[in-house]
Amino acid sequence: MRGLLAKAVRDQRRGVIGWGIALSVVVLMYAAFYPSIKESAADLQAYIENLPEAISSIFAGEDYTSPVGYLESEFFNTMGALVVLIFAIGAGARAIAGEEEAGTLDLLLSAPVRRREVLATKAIAIVASLVALGAVTAVSIALFGPPFDLSVPLADIVAACVMLALLGLSFGGVAFAVGASTGRRAIANAAAGGLAVVTFIVHAIGPTVQWLRPLRPLSPFRWYQDPGLLTGGLHLRNVLVLTGIAVVSYVVAHIAFERRDLAS
Amino acid sequence: MTPIIEASALTKRYGSARGVEELTFDVPQGEVFGFLGPNGAGKTTSIRTMLDFIRPTSGTIRLFGMDPRVDGVRVHARVGYLPGELALYQRLTGEAYLRTFASLRDGVEWSYVQDIAERLLLDMTRRIKDLSHGNKQKVGLVQAFMHRPDLLVLDEPTQGLDPLVQQTFYALLEEERVRGVTVFLSSHVMPEVERICDRVAIVREGRLVAIEDIGDLKARATRHLDLHLDGPAPADAFAGIPGVREVEVHGDQLSLSVEGPLDAVIKHAARYTVVNVETHEPSLEDLFLAYFGADGSAPDVDGADEAPS
Repeated sequence: MRGLLAKAVRDQRRGVIGWGIALSVVVLMYAAFYPSIKESAADLQAYIENLPEAISSIFAGEDYTSPVGYLESEFFNTMGALVVLIFAIGAGARAIAGEEEAGTLDLLLSAPVRRREVLATKAIAIVASLVALGAVTAVSIALFGPPFDLSVPLADIVAACVMLALLGLSFGGVAFAVGASTGRRAIANAAAGGLAVVTFIVHAIGPTVQWLRPLRPLSPFRWYQDPGLLTGGLHLRNVLVLTGIAVVSYVVAHIAFERRDLAS
Repeated sequence: MTPIIEASALTKRYGSARGVEELTFDVPQGEVFGFLGPNGAGKTTSIRTMLDFIRPTSGTIRLFGMDPRVDGVRVHARVGYLPGELALYQRLTGEAYLRTFASLRDGVEWSYVQDIAERLLLDMTRRIKDLSHGNKQKVGLVQAFMHRPDLLVLDEPTQGLDPLVQQTFYALLEEERVRGVTVFLSSHVMPEVERICDRVAIVREGRLVAIEDIGDLKARATRHLDLHLDGPAPADAFAGIPGVREVEVHGDQLSLSVEGPLDAVIKHAARYTVVNVETHEPSLEDLFLAYFGADGSAPDVDGADEAPS
């Protein structure tokens, strides 16, 4: 089991380093833009108000130019979420389906290890990667924000980054489950990626589209963003919902992977 | 004593694709058992059920008396496996790869790993993606032998190996055999099976055609023999000689197909002045011909369905 875990963690290392750098660069970029955004605050606010309601509602209810509003709308709800989701879905899809398609899973499972151990160590490695990426994001915001007047209390940054990691974990979990069930990486990527796009849209334009409104609670983004990522600390219900998606995904992966034939 | 491998009416069907049907055979401890058949005959499917990568549709497979699905860890600890389509972690060096696999097993002596790698002339410091097909195959072989398994399951082990390394591999296998290791070797190459196996199962289209001692198999196989004489050969010179099935005459040269021992042919050939004799290894096709006849009639399956002893 220890050998498997070491392998699973090593498999993630390159990805985590690469995406960690990407996240810090994104944070640094947005922090650097902040002073000029704040300067043109009034213009921007007016511009947003003039957008069609379906679009402006994406930014609704936020003071877009305060540090909290800026970080939430520009980073946590858009670019940051995108980067973390790409990483998490890719890692989830690759975990079993990637090795299976490459053909390396055969030899790995010919060692005296259980399928469930392979599954568990890969899941642990993905969780660890997301924790690392969340930490890198938190540190980046705490370091790069203040020089540009983008200051948010550390506890709130940490809480938001926990949620960011959990968002990744929930969609990464879906990719992991689909990959472990089908052995097909493309299907896993498409299923989890498609789900992310659809549920993001449902949540984002739900307030303005009447018939979408009742569907909003079905979107993980509802449980990620509302009522606010950088205010009020962690919301237990949100944490539970996102963690729940990941746990259910893992159980599905376990049941399916234990039962099925491996592709040759 | 429990056989090391025990297949009983082992059947695997995939939708419309061909799997294996009702395979029954035993491999006792210490035997080198060949699994011979053309590509697509079900050799790899059988092997993948032994390692629990796929589950039988019906029937059972047991290794060391255990069900690989239930006791996978205990079974795998005693098996060395070389897949037919070897896929390794491309980014790792040979050494990193083998160290990873050593870490998944108990009791791998690194000095032994180095020893086999050296004998196979494997450069462990190079990245796997930079290795030739033959060198990748060596990594796979070291991985299969490294923990001194009780059973070696080798799917087409010599593909891509140059002849010299093949000899080293045969020597390694012989040492393991002396140690009492059981070997299950799948191949579509007749000479290889002839050379190293004690007994061979012949599979075709997912079914077991026959199980024979290698000696009987050789006796039964059709051999091709070219005789070069010092003058034009009489067309009917070898007609009626026991075992001769076909004779073709090209000037000074006679091409004979002979079933079974060559003795009668050689003694008859002694009447002529023989310049040269060339023999050709019997091919798999010849072997199937011996079992199915030219018309593909019902196979003679003696041995295939015998009760486990």
